[in-house]
Amino acid sequence: MHPVRLGIQSITGMLAISLASFTVINSMPADPVAIAIRVWNLPATDETVAALRAEWGLDQPLLFRYCDWLTRFLTGDWGRSFRTGEPVLGEFLERLPISLSLGMAGLALAIVFAIPLGFFAAAHPKGVADRFSRTLSVFVQAVPGFWLGLVLLWVLGVQLRWIRLLAQDWTAAVLPILLIALHSVAVLARVYRRDLMETATQPYFRTALAKGLSERQALWRHGRCGALYALLAAVRSEAGWVIGSTATMEILFGLPGISQFLVQSIAARDQMVLQAYVMVIVLWMLVMNGGAYLAMRFLDPRLA
Amino acid sequence: MPSKILSGLTAALLAASVFVAASATAAAEPLRVGATYITSGTDPAKGSNGWALTSHGVGENLFTVDKEGKLVSELAEKAERTGDLTWTITLKADRRFSDGTPVTAKTLAAGFDNTFANNKAALATGGKLNFEAAGDLTLKVTTEKPVPLIQSLFAEWPLIAYKPVGDGNAVFTGPYRIAGFKTDASIKLEPNAYFAASEKRSPVEFRKFGDAQTMTLALESGELDLAFGLPSEVVTRLKANPELTTKSFPVGYQYLAFFNTTRPLLGDVKVRQALDLAFDRKELSAAISGGEPATGAFASYFPFAGRQARPTDLAKAAALLDAAGWTKGASGILEKDGRPLRLLAITYPQRPDLVTMLPVVKAELARIGIAVDTQVVENISQVAAAGDFDITLWAQHTAPSGDPAFFLNSMLRSGASLNYAKYASPDFDAILNRFAAEGDPAKRVAIALDAQARLFADAPASFLVSPVWYVGVSKRLKNYEPWGSDYHVLRADIGEAK
Repeated sequence: MHPVRLGIQSITGMLAISLASFTVINSMPADPVAIAIRVWNLPATDETVAALRAEWGLDQPLLFRYCDWLTRFLTGDWGRSFRTGEPVLGEFLERLPISLSLGMAGLALAIVFAIPLGFFAAAHPKGVADRFSRTLSVFVQAVPGFWLGLVLLWVLGVQLRWIRLLAQDWTAAVLPILLIALHSVAVLARVYRRDLMETATQPYFRTALAKGLSERQALWRHGRCGALYALLAAVRSEAGWVIGSTATMEILFGLPGISQFLVQSIAARDQMVLQAYVMVIVLWMLVMNGGAYLAMRFLDPRLA
Repeated sequence: MPSKILSGLTAALLAASVFVAASATAAAEPLRVGATYITSGTDPAKGSNGWALTSHGVGENLFTVDKEGKLVSELAEKAERTGDLTWTITLKADRRFSDGTPVTAKTLAAGFDNTFANNKAALATGGKLNFEAAGDLTLKVTTEKPVPLIQSLFAEWPLIAYKPVGDGNAVFTGPYRIAGFKTDASIKLEPNAYFAASEKRSPVEFRKFGDAQTMTLALESGELDLAFGLPSEVVTRLKANPELTTKSFPVGYQYLAFFNTTRPLLGDVKVRQALDLAFDRKELSAAISGGEPATGAFASYFPFAGRQARPTDLAKAAALLDAAGWTKGASGILEKDGRPLRLLAITYPQRPDLVTMLPVVKAELARIGIAVDTQVVENISQVAAAGDFDITLWAQHTAPSGDPAFFLNSMLRSGASLNYAKYASPDFDAILNRFAAEGDPAKRVAIALDAQARLFADAPASFLVSPVWYVGVSKRLKNYEPWGSDYHVLRADIGEAK
């Protein structure tokens, strides 16, 4: 697919998702004005209700509100949070870097570890790397990340004193990133291995062996690009899981990222925040998809 | 020889400088405090920020409740009644805000006016109050409704004293001032230089934990000096740690269950009464390893508390449900017109004991054939305000100002701002109206007991456990004495060992 066509499709998709999500979010039960009056203990007069509805634009027809929101959103005015009263963009800019850093670093680390693990698992089926990656895969599926995080905090923070639980610098992110990466390493390594194993069944692989290459050399020379292609395809779906898993880590490690903020915003029916979050996630997925697509195109020029 | 002397002197000088530097560092080292809550903002008129800012040691009231539960003056010197609805409050001289400006009647009046305009909870006891500065230290107050004890009203959490400085910002008078605030994460506090003995206090880093277990681990790893609100199950483990001290204290809080009286299944008083009778309060107390079965709306040490623990009677509960038309279905769950008696019970993680109690509540109600779905929600105030629940487990200090009227008025009076049960009873309201005209403490006790009797009959809420809470402290705060629930976590007398 041509990048221009991909771009047009992405923009169309974003608009469609923004309209659908705006409709759904605005149709959620419970009136945000009623919630705000209760939570902020505002005088529940008709004047207060009318003032809040006007301030938040809730007195306008849905389509008008959507067009108004979209125009503002595209010009950098993401509205004000119903819950905190602060500009949504500011709230996101304060918190989003933490969540995105966690997610991206976790994913990058997972890719870095998954490639050698998957390769050695494929090169030596039933060997140490293969058994380890299989065990890891079962382990991360079976053990909740929250529980594993608590155990690691106890072992590394309390018993061994290797990490500081309340670190205010970059070290605070090390363990959450490792935990996020752990799940993806297991998934991506198995994908990488599976593709390499398929390569090993191909006639050209046997030809390479006949030419005198060792199995490991043949796998690396003739299998790595195809396996990397498969791995990048898997990264696209893993990206969604990674950004979701940051929520658990933020709560466990007390990191003030966007996920904690989102949980509270859902409870408050904070429509501006929820809509902005949907758009950020869509953007994240588009960027990850686009990045993976470009990388795959580089690996396989037939895509061009 | 001179070179040896020189070397010795240099070494001594170096050692001394290291020692001095280390001492200076230690002196500037902030106290590290952890809890599962933090103020949601610095605007004292919004939501429950008034309570949180006082709890953080930032704000004060005109009057407050001391550690013996007595009502005492704080910023005010005295209050005198001058008419049915009018009072004159004399402020203490020489008190200053944290920006150095004097505390005057005019500045406090501006703050209170802002609170009454923006916080409905402030209206609970006396209705709308009007303030007029009659001098630098004389504040005239006119209440909308008769208030028998204005001191108690001014000890209520919404009425934190402050000087508004525009755009939701304010300056306070407490022992600490805000030096930095990160929403949902932490607040940095410095000693308020204009509060007595400020030189004896260290700065504080107050950190919010999303999870109480993580907070416990931070205490164990030596990264907290005070962990407030430890889960009871970790107390035995912490007591074995020689570096830490664990303290428990009785609190005025009550753990209770609000029943959403507007939901179809709980609109029937017989069903609510059955729920109340089905709770085994001894079992609930045992589950959280700390507390006593509740006797009513107030902790048992208050004079206006019930004298006997609320009863458990499964046979009577079953009879009530039978009378309400609920019969056992094939699955063992009660049914009526083919509809199962299935309820949604919610609570919130900021009170770990409530999370522990939630499955016990589910099991207890299952014994009388009621199915319960459970949920732990992060932001209970919003969910409860939206009414998205049948039962909500709740922790509430029911006599924060040493008087029973505030809780009953603000959380159970018809139409009250925090009436999550949406309980509406003219009879109950009539009982509460008697508080407004009665100043005799003994007669106020009788009114509180009458109100509780009405609540027991109508069952908009079930009072479950009067808890004790736990705090863990490092050696640096071994003299910290917890009291006043979570209304005064950080105080002037924090007990730091220097």
